[in-house]
Amino acid sequence: MNDSVIHDLRNHQPRFRGLEAGHRACQGCGEALAARLVTESAGPDVMVANATGCLEVFTTPWPESAWRMPWAHSVFGNAAALAAGMEAALKRQGKSTKVLAFAGDGGTFDIGFQALSGMMERGHNVLFVCYDNEAYMNTGVQRSGSTPHAASTTTSPPGKARMGKRHLKKDILSIIAAHHIPYAATASVAYPSDLRKKVRRAMAVEGPTFLQVHTPCPLGWGHDSGLTVEVARLAVQTGLFPLIEMERGGVAGVMPIREIRPVTAYLKAQNRFRHLFADEARAREELEHLQALADHNIEVYGLRGEHVDRYDTEGADTLHRGGARWA
Amino acid sequence: MALALEGSQAMARAVALCRPQVVAAYPITPQTHIVEGIAKLVADGRLDCEMVSVESEHSAATVALGAALAGSRAYTASSSQGILLMSEVIFNIAGLRVPLVMTCANRALGAPLSIWNDQQDSMAVRDAGWIQIYCATNQEAVDTTIQAFRIAERCELPVMVCVDGFTLTHTLEGLEMPTQEQVDTYLPAYRYARALDPAAPISVGMLVTPEHFSEVRHAHHQAVLRALPEIEAADADYAALTGRAAGGLLEVRGDASARIGILAIGSVLGTLEDAMLSQPDLPRTRLIKLRSFRPFPAEALRRACEGLDHLIILERAISPGAGAILGPEVVMALVDGGTLPKVHDVAAGLGGRDMRIDLYRRLLALTESDPKPFHVIDARLEQLPEEDR
Amino acid sequence: MKTIPRGAFAEPGTSLAFHTGSWRVQKPVHDRRPAPCHAVCPAGEDPQTYLAKVEEGDLKGAWETLVAANPLPAITGRVCPHFCESACNRRHYDDAIAIHNVERFLGDEAIRQGWAYPLRPAGDGAPCVAVVGAGPAGLAAAWHLRRLGHAVTLFEAMPQAGGTLRTAIPQYRLPREAMDAELERLLAIGIEFRPHTRLGRDVSLAELRQDFSALFLGPGNQLGREWSADFAVPSDLRSGLQLLQEWIATGALPVEAKSVALLGGGNTAIDLSRVLRRSGVAEVHLITHQRAPAPGVPSDDVMRAAPSEVAMALEEGVIVHEHRGIRRLILRGERVIGVELVRMKKLTDDRGRLHRVAFEGTETVLHVDMVIPAIGQVVDGEGFESLLGTGSYFKVDAWTGLLRGQENVFVGGDARGDHGTVTEAVGDGRRAAMAIDRLLRGEAPPAPDTAEPVAYESLNLHYFEPEARAREPVLPVERRQGLDEIEQGLDANQVRHEAHRCFSCGDCLACDNCWTLCPDQSVLKTRDRASDGSHYVFDYDYCKGCGLCAHECPTGYIRMVEDL
Repeated sequence: MNDSVIHDLRNHQPRFRGLEAGHRACQGCGEALAARLVTESAGPDVMVANATGCLEVFTTPWPESAWRMPWAHSVFGNAAALAAGMEAALKRQGKSTKVLAFAGDGGTFDIGFQALSGMMERGHNVLFVCYDNEAYMNTGVQRSGSTPHAASTTTSPPGKARMGKRHLKKDILSIIAAHHIPYAATASVAYPSDLRKKVRRAMAVEGPTFLQVHTPCPLGWGHDSGLTVEVARLAVQTGLFPLIEMERGGVAGVMPIREIRPVTAYLKAQNRFRHLFADEARAREELEHLQALADHNIEVYGLRGEHVDRYDTEGADTLHRGGARWA
Repeated sequence: MALALEGSQAMARAVALCRPQVVAAYPITPQTHIVEGIAKLVADGRLDCEMVSVESEHSAATVALGAALAGSRAYTASSSQGILLMSEVIFNIAGLRVPLVMTCANRALGAPLSIWNDQQDSMAVRDAGWIQIYCATNQEAVDTTIQAFRIAERCELPVMVCVDGFTLTHTLEGLEMPTQEQVDTYLPAYRYARALDPAAPISVGMLVTPEHFSEVRHAHHQAVLRALPEIEAADADYAALTGRAAGGLLEVRGDASARIGILAIGSVLGTLEDAMLSQPDLPRTRLIKLRSFRPFPAEALRRACEGLDHLIILERAISPGAGAILGPEVVMALVDGGTLPKVHDVAAGLGGRDMRIDLYRRLLALTESDPKPFHVIDARLEQLPEEDR
Repeated sequence: MKTIPRGAFAEPGTSLAFHTGSWRVQKPVHDRRPAPCHAVCPAGEDPQTYLAKVEEGDLKGAWETLVAANPLPAITGRVCPHFCESACNRRHYDDAIAIHNVERFLGDEAIRQGWAYPLRPAGDGAPCVAVVGAGPAGLAAAWHLRRLGHAVTLFEAMPQAGGTLRTAIPQYRLPREAMDAELERLLAIGIEFRPHTRLGRDVSLAELRQDFSALFLGPGNQLGREWSADFAVPSDLRSGLQLLQEWIATGALPVEAKSVALLGGGNTAIDLSRVLRRSGVAEVHLITHQRAPAPGVPSDDVMRAAPSEVAMALEEGVIVHEHRGIRRLILRGERVIGVELVRMKKLTDDRGRLHRVAFEGTETVLHVDMVIPAIGQVVDGEGFESLLGTGSYFKVDAWTGLLRGQENVFVGGDARGDHGTVTEAVGDGRRAAMAIDRLLRGEAPPAPDTAEPVAYESLNLHYFEPEARAREPVLPVERRQGLDEIEQGLDANQVRHEAHRCFSCGDCLACDNCWTLCPDQSVLKTRDRASDGSHYVFDYDYCKGCGLCAHECPTGYIRMVEDL
């Protein structure tokens, strides 16, 4: 197939493409995948405020932008506020363009948290999407408030005195939901139909909405670039990253886990947890701790699938000849 | 018709006359009265705008930025610590070349905590790439606020209107307010060439590699310099419409032929002018009111200083370890012109220290000896331990 | 040189100027590999492809795909032991696809709808090939030769075509109407059919050699193997095949025994066991050296009969004695009153060859009135002894069926002696026809298919859901008396359901996974099918070679290859 045919094909794809090829994300980047899935469902009548981070850097080295939507980046911690400003302007102009804010976990859990909280408290009609890859990847894999317990990062390395990150992953969804916003949810690149449904749901809501998308980072997590979706799927299937929807502060829906996998299935796939498989008591203890955290999630959110459900962890992306998915 | 108005209220009305679509602010003394005034105008239905009361100055600047990017006229105001907290965004706004207007109600920076006036805050962000215009009176503040929107939008640069906290913001004066018709004539509807639009989706806030960064910075510098004629034109056009000018790039008052000059920015000019008029025993001086600090009007300054034997520079902020902030820039400008007067550079009125009428005499006394190193002229050194004097 | 605009903004999608494809060290390729059902099918059918067409609603296209390998789907869909289903990857997941039911449905549907067999007309000067024997092998050879544009003359000793289909398969498995309808349509495609013409009697080998460019022989095995136990032979000995043929031809059996020991594990043994039950024999004991088909039974230790037939025989009361052989007949005079059984098993000797071992001390006695060996047949070489030589079967090239020592004589079907199902015979006919086609065009013979089938492990099963296999109605045991067909087949909806269950191993499902999950927008969806038969193309200008599409491809259709 020659270049002009491919070019023509690219320009006539039967889906809106918010993020174009030629961006400089690493091979198998979960965040790039999440961003394309989110923008496909959200666009084209949107405007994006993007925090500093991998997504911003790999999409916009001047003069090349990978975006096909109006997009602005200001600084690290202000994506929510930038979006709020855009939204205020559009509202005043009487336009229906929806504003999206994109940030990584640093720009959501940590440096961007205050602006995010303020934006939600003020009720801006903004969908805030957190691409959660669980560390500061852009700066070289430093731990963040989202890094899971016991994970190794460059600022939480394991050693004689430490077993990776000492603290827990911040329960951002509950914190966000406590703002009593109309809709907040977690999603995963491993479940594109579920992700699309949640984006559309959030887009339809008038008011602040929040989506936390789990996006593996092959480089930072230490797994093969082809396993991004597999690793993300295991996070959900083990209960370590539950897929939840919350409305006005209460749990409105969960994706049941049909076959609960042991956390080791997820942890083993990633170098950031390699130290937990050493033959020593503290490693075994941390493994038990992570299993307990998963069990806790399963219990608290009622994730155990009691019967086969079309929308559970096994059924949610069942495919069909010809590409028809349920969302 | 003159109205008796508090400075902040007058500035709020001036902002309203410019029909901003989004105003974002976070409370900090002494900026509060301006924002409260706008909030009240909105509440009363006299101003149709989105008033976004944000959770920090960082967000105040950001919301204004977002609004401007999305195609709306935006305004914010802050002071002191607020300016520092938003400084990251202040630089960012300028780099993005986004037009918006901010009032800086000038206040000292802590520690130690001081809520009172000096100009350390706006001076701290002088290199941000904004246009900075300093006002000497509340009438100037009103007129400059309106002019600022026109300058910002023509130059595609943000403008900081600097007004001395309390001295201007909290004082009541008789003021002339332009009519809405006059402002509408003067200031066309906001139109930003690079406003974000789903129909023509550009990306702004790009990563620029070393290959292009120097050019971008050079262009920014040139852009701010190109604002010089725009500032003059904005003032001239405004004067033609209202009969009032606000002082162009700078203004020479007092005795234009005097061979001693005093250069100052902000409201202290009024104090010095009053002191000169009320103390006829003292020499009359050439009072140089620097209105545009960024861009720095080097050429206008050289003309204003022609024939001076002494130039006294009165700073309202300091750069510890170097001292003067204005001074070196002024000297650089004059060096380029060939002959230099004797330059005496001091600071006064830091953190709200009252600048009384005798300041004029103390400044003039500087000319009686060779220039001394920069110092804080009204500091009472006897209050300090020996080693700190 | 690019002018830097005010604010250093960028135009949309300009990243296309940056070709990230240069980062790649491996690249994804579409790798159409045979599904296990395809790889294992002796007839060369590609069920995965026709199931896909069924799911798309293209039944005619599905049938055309099917007959491109096997012209007798209504027949094989009924009688084949379905190798395909034993290999189906889905059997590891829930249950194999009911491929034979789909095959049968398509065959019947073609008859109902009168779909024409797709072929090229034979030109006037087309070389003519003689096919001897209108059994499954001969019919398949004739069809493929015609399909490839050759003229064919088909010789058959019997009055009608069909061979063992007609003589040795009971009607309750293969109703004659279904068989005749399909054979009639096939013979009508322009094959010159000469019944009542036996090679060596009505026409000589020399004549054939002279008149035809090539020969295909599918004479079948007509002679029962000689059998004795400890040198004893019962006076009333009849071979299993003879009895079965008699029952099929007349509807009755000359058997008055109350209990019968039937020796053998192939289809003839099983068919006869069931026929015996239908004829009123109270106890039918099937004695086999192997085991009845069941999960976990190794393939070299399992009866050759179709598992479903064995299951039905058991339902119908046939008693199977596994791992047993008949060591001795217990005679009263010349009359059999019982057999001595011994435990036997096939074991591998030091040279790796299988041989049967009887275990001394495991002998038991079974009282029966009659013993019937159903241990296979050999070729009746009368009239073509020069080709057969001294062996029981023809010695041929395993792939093409080219007779050893000959240039243009090919053999297929049971007469090869290395297999014994209708489907294998069909495959013999097909491969031989292709070899003949090459031969007549002066080309090298076709090479065996060696492509590795798609392994279960290379599928991504996350994207499938368990779905119960459709079950056809089956005549209840108490009603299995006469000739009524036992298995009733699936209806159109069930057939569609089965097609939907297919994993589509090794082929593009058009599921959109690669298109949806590429982080680099380097998979583009095509409007129609792309040239490689998929629905997507890789844009290698941007593909970084992450391998995500390959890992998430549910069918193992995308493979990563080195690309340095």
